[in-house]
Amino acid sequence: MTAGKFIRTIFFIEILQGMALTLRTMFTPAVTRRYPKVKRPVQPGFRGLHALAKNEEGKMKCVGCGLCGAYCPSQCIHIYTTEGEDHNKVVDRYEVEVLRCVYCGFCVEACPFGAISLSEHYEYSGYSREEFYMTKDMLLANWDKYFTGKKGERYYKDFWGPKSEDFHGYEGQAMFKGIKNEK
Amino acid sequence: MNEILGTIIAPDTVDILIKYGINILIILLKIAAVIAVALLHVAYATYWERKVIGHMQVRLGPIEVGWHGLLQPIADGVKLFFKEDIIPANADKPLFYLAPVIFFVSALTSLAVLPFFEGFVVANINIGLLFLFAMSSLGAYGIIVAGWSSNSKYAFLGGLRSASQVISYEIAMGLSLVGVMLMAGSLNLSDIVRAQHQYPTGMYAIPQFLGFFVFVVAAFAETNRLPFDLPEAESELVAGYFTEYSSFRFAMFFLGEYTGMLIMSSISAICFLGGWTIPKFITDAIPFLLNVPGIVWFLIKVYAFMFFYYWVRATLPRYRYDQLMAIGWKILIPLALLNIVITGLVKILVKG
Repeated sequence: MTAGKFIRTIFFIEILQGMALTLRTMFTPAVTRRYPKVKRPVQPGFRGLHALAKNEEGKMKCVGCGLCGAYCPSQCIHIYTTEGEDHNKVVDRYEVEVLRCVYCGFCVEACPFGAISLSEHYEYSGYSREEFYMTKDMLLANWDKYFTGKKGERYYKDFWGPKSEDFHGYEGQAMFKGIKNEK
Repeated sequence: MNEILGTIIAPDTVDILIKYGINILIILLKIAAVIAVALLHVAYATYWERKVIGHMQVRLGPIEVGWHGLLQPIADGVKLFFKEDIIPANADKPLFYLAPVIFFVSALTSLAVLPFFEGFVVANINIGLLFLFAMSSLGAYGIIVAGWSSNSKYAFLGGLRSASQVISYEIAMGLSLVGVMLMAGSLNLSDIVRAQHQYPTGMYAIPQFLGFFVFVVAAFAETNRLPFDLPEAESELVAGYFTEYSSFRFAMFFLGEYTGMLIMSSISAICFLGGWTIPKFITDAIPFLLNVPGIVWFLIKVYAFMFFYYWVRATLPRYRYDQLMAIGWKILIPLALLNIVITGLVKILVKG
């Protein structure tokens, strides 16, 4: 044991350094976010609760092709269709088991019509599993709730609209040069 | 009243009886005041600890109940009071009931001999310091009995660890205070404070720095606080000796532990930091400070020591068990003995 080490040991230099650190930390502002009062801002492109998109006439965009259900890795999308008048497809039931969903967003990528989208809403809770078994009506209601208004429209356009229809980047998006904000 | 009694007992005896009655009444009032104030302090010590440690860990601590969480201790107390009281099926029931009472009562009894300010002490006895040691040793019985009667491995191991720890550090603590006894020439806590006030530095912590250091470390171990909280090491023993306790029985252990901290802080304030007095050279420099009541200085010292408890808890990790024993027996006790020898020699040389 050298003299320096001996002095450091008997005067608890390291412990005192640690205590100085904790004392300094005491006067720094706390990082706690008081959640229900102060909400965490949602990042761009956040994948939250599902919604079924409506077109300008207020009708469901979904045509019942079933690509989203086929693509879904957790197989939580169930689509039931029947043949209607004029031999067109009618979507009878479109159901998402929200508790099984992993929010990968593949359904949105698979959809050729931009009919399904994920909202920024993430605070949902309930007392039974049925409340999280989203039927067609519930999913359409989600659209009215989270994608109407200027903010919702903007969000849908930036992230969940089909890229084949209207391809553009959102503000601040990391992209290859020359593609950004091209229409 | 007196005439009626006078026909039965002699009038002189009646006077004596009334005097005794008034004395007992005053003592009872003092006890009630001390216990009420101490328990309030204990309740808010938990709040303060959570706040201090929270901020040291860049958190906020309790903040939702009342303004900045000020009603949190009351909410905790109400919650503990109304919780289900579970007693393990194979527990030794009489001992299980008795253990928290022993622990809590021995902690509260120590309050009796502490002088809070000039002339205010419930029991002004000449063996005050010895009484405090006795009571803190008695508290260890509560812990051992709790560990034994719970009929649980964790509680038992916690109780055994606490027993050996408290016995080991009791020696170091007793020896560390011998220096103070030698300097003050008394075991009466009020006399120790008065002797300290006469001393040039006004605080025994300066000449007795070795004893003070040993006392601080031993006080941490004696109250089972970090870094020596092995009897209730959460990561190893669930909660240690009170694992099986719930509801108000648990609250009694909890209150007893914090009262123990309060008493250790008070002992350090009285024996090393000058109790209700401040050093004479300070009052000579700023005579205005003489107007401040003694209880203020006493409380400032106690709070500072309590803060030190929390500060250490937020900083240091737990010691290994063999390290704990090695510190106690191989470092602290020799240091305390050395301190006694030096103090004694200096005292003889100065007198002679």
